[in-house]
Amino acid sequence: MGTFKTENPGNQPVWVNTNNCKACDICVAVCPAGVLGMKYNKNSTLGAMISIDHPESCIGCMECELSCPDFAIYVADRKEYKFAKLTDEAKERQAAIVANNYMSLDQKGAK
Amino acid sequence: MAFNYDKYLRVNKMPTLWCWGCGDGVILKATIRAIEKMGWDMNDVCVVSGIGCSGRFSSYIDCNTVHTTHGRTVAYATGIKLANPDKHVIVVAGDGDGLAIGGNHTIHGCRRNIDLNFILINNFIYGLTNSQTSPTTPQGMWSVTMKQGNIDPTFNASGLAMGAGASFVARESMIDPKKLEKILVKAFSHKGFSFVEVLSNCHINLGRKNKMANAMENLAWIDSITVPVRKFDALSEEEKAQKLPTGVLRQVEQPEYCDLYDRVIEAAQGKGAKITRADFDNKI
Repeated sequence: MGTFKTENPGNQPVWVNTNNCKACDICVAVCPAGVLGMKYNKNSTLGAMISIDHPESCIGCMECELSCPDFAIYVADRKEYKFAKLTDEAKERQAAIVANNYMSLDQKGAK
Repeated sequence: MAFNYDKYLRVNKMPTLWCWGCGDGVILKATIRAIEKMGWDMNDVCVVSGIGCSGRFSSYIDCNTVHTTHGRTVAYATGIKLANPDKHVIVVAGDGDGLAIGGNHTIHGCRRNIDLNFILINNFIYGLTNSQTSPTTPQGMWSVTMKQGNIDPTFNASGLAMGAGASFVARESMIDPKKLEKILVKAFSHKGFSFVEVLSNCHINLGRKNKMANAMENLAWIDSITVPVRKFDALSEEEKAQKLPTGVLRQVEQPEYCDLYDRVIEAAQGKGAKITRADFDNKI
């Protein structure tokens, strides 16, 4: 419970308020660059929690922040962070994450 | 520093009570971002919501809010707008709230063309009462009150608003929040009744028994039944029956009710002429 964490925690392109996150997978699904993934977490209601695996690939498209229903994920302002360009490697990683049921690639099995 | 949500939301009410992946949260976010773009002061904004999952809208947004009785959102909002014509009134209702029990109020709000911003969240089901059939539930889908498959024909909400005379009618889904934000800015800028139908997901109560049990499957289904309005015109008649056009469907200038009501006040006070039939001769 409590405040949003809209302050950048320190030169990050994207960060999460895990108190608000309900692990609905939407941000992982809409990311074009394979930045995000779900990881198993026994303390979470749905058994998983969002994790930021590849912040260096973030292109700053804002899709995850705008599509999040729970105000849990935030993207840095373009003035304070220099975002990467979208690469083929990032696109392939995103396709692999979606095929892996939105779980991070090091996580195995169904949620 | 990301977008400052603390300024627009009641922080002590978070996290929201909506299910995981619920489109209502996306629409709430698009609404506050549109308010920010409009540059409105939150003290000048009033959000009126009814009963249903969409009714929680007024609990989370930090401005003047009224959580009203079931379906009576437009009636309350009309009173608020007439008493405070310089304030901005946003009405939020679900498909059950705004089309079934409140359908009567909705069409008469459209007819009067009073300057309200009506956001109709259409998730194709009564979500809060655990999947009863709503006026927009597609035929053939399972619901608790239609366990053998829904046979009721569905409402075209935007068509209803256009027929009732709303001067701004738009339909958008919450799949693309950037587009939704732009449509909301257009609706908020329009003077007159702005009717925005937002297609939303309810993978919990609609999706679970209709083979789309998670948010992404439900959103993919919404994506499959919508088409942008400029592409819609090129479709054949059979394809048109299967699809819903999205975008601004109607935008016209019509006399606004608060302006006309000011003239009634002036006439009653002897400061202006009485309103005659000649004032409306170009519109029957």
